[in-house]
Amino acid sequence: MRVEVDSSKCQGHNRCMIFAPDVFEVDDYGFATVRADGEIPPEQIEAVKHAVVNCPELAIIVRED
Amino acid sequence: MNERPVRDFDFHGAALDTIFDTYKELRENCPVGWSDHYGGFWFLAKNEDIFNAEQDWATFSVAPSMLLPAFGTDEPMIPIDIDPPVHSAYRKLLLPLFTPRAVDDLTPFVEQTARDLADEVGKSDIADIGLGYARPLPSIIFCTLVGYPQEDWYLFDEWVDRIIYGRDVNPAESEKAGNEVREYLWALVEKRRQEPPKDDITGRLITAVIDGRPITDEEILNYAYLLFVAGLDTTAWAIRSSLWYLARNPEDQERLRRDPELISSAVEEFLRTLSPVQAMARTATKDVEVGGCPIKQGDRVVLAFGSGNRDEEAYANPDEIVIDREQNRHFAFGVGIHRCLGSNLGRREVIVAVRELLDRLPPFEAVNLDEPWHGVGPLTVRFKREA
Repeated sequence: MRVEVDSSKCQGHNRCMIFAPDVFEVDDYGFATVRADGEIPPEQIEAVKHAVVNCPELAIIVRED
Repeated sequence: MNERPVRDFDFHGAALDTIFDTYKELRENCPVGWSDHYGGFWFLAKNEDIFNAEQDWATFSVAPSMLLPAFGTDEPMIPIDIDPPVHSAYRKLLLPLFTPRAVDDLTPFVEQTARDLADEVGKSDIADIGLGYARPLPSIIFCTLVGYPQEDWYLFDEWVDRIIYGRDVNPAESEKAGNEVREYLWALVEKRRQEPPKDDITGRLITAVIDGRPITDEEILNYAYLLFVAGLDTTAWAIRSSLWYLARNPEDQERLRRDPELISSAVEEFLRTLSPVQAMARTATKDVEVGGCPIKQGDRVVLAFGSGNRDEEAYANPDEIVIDREQNRHFAFGVGIHRCLGSNLGRREVIVAVRELLDRLPPFEAVNLDEPWHGVGPLTVRFKREA
């Protein structure tokens, strides 16, 4: 399972950082990116799901491989 | 369909007393409609319509202003009343000051300020934690961040009351107060230009470069003015409305005392349901149809965030305040390119304010049940000390 942030949609609410700080990080302006290659470690799947449903911009995309 | 369903919809002052019932009625019977208040405007009451309008900035412009009625000025406030492309350059100036790391750095000062204020209001058995706690906390933090003289914070409440809370009934007075604030801010800018540089908001504004050219005096003032009217009362309202709820719901207050980890999600829920920003306005740049209604080019369009935040199609039991709600996307800070610049600081301040008050003071209950959920007025509570 992989996760990415649609940078055309992210507006820097930083909600993903609250739910899954080990998966997401933000740049100097507060816009989110995914750490590493986007592969979600099994123990982070719940956290990422929380980030997805709480992203105000619907900017987080999860893909089943 | 080519009609204009009309409703007597207002979203300021006393209309806020019963606005959640109003929203419900609108969502059920008139999700897109026209109100004759404030020169006339369309309103969007559904979560999805509001979200789509916020994303479509080319159709729903923020010119001449996001505020309806105006915030004591006809000048465009920067960046909220500015459309792309220049909008992004304005935002990037200050975004680095509001990232999670920047907010973390500021948090010890927020915590210390909250503790000092909590200890002060906690000295009596009955206290006004609206005026004594919710209101001064953001003002003091903001003084530091922007570079206003610390000792001036108490001046700001009166200006904010006249500019924001008086504008629906007395626009002339609102404008007068707006001019006083602009004069105050300009004197500060002039003073700062004589002093050694400092890396606070004012410092960044006066040295800013916008798309390769130096910022103009007018732009500095229109940006500083926006920060003044956006950063003070909104956070005070959010702190007060959170405490308003807890003063009336002892079980949830007790639950947060037992489990402070829940404060963060509780604050998110208070922001969804009792938000300081119930609506913001746009102007249609072309004819567009929403929900079967014919919005014409030049029409004002009010996005009723507070209604979208309680939309049955977006939330289970939307009118219920569920402090551990797990799915909570909402419009308290808006969405799209004009998302509140200070949202992360605002959230942090409300969380710290609730946590420190619960941590330092005994359980409290509402004394005056007539005090409304909205606004930045008094919130009178009695502390229940052990005998």
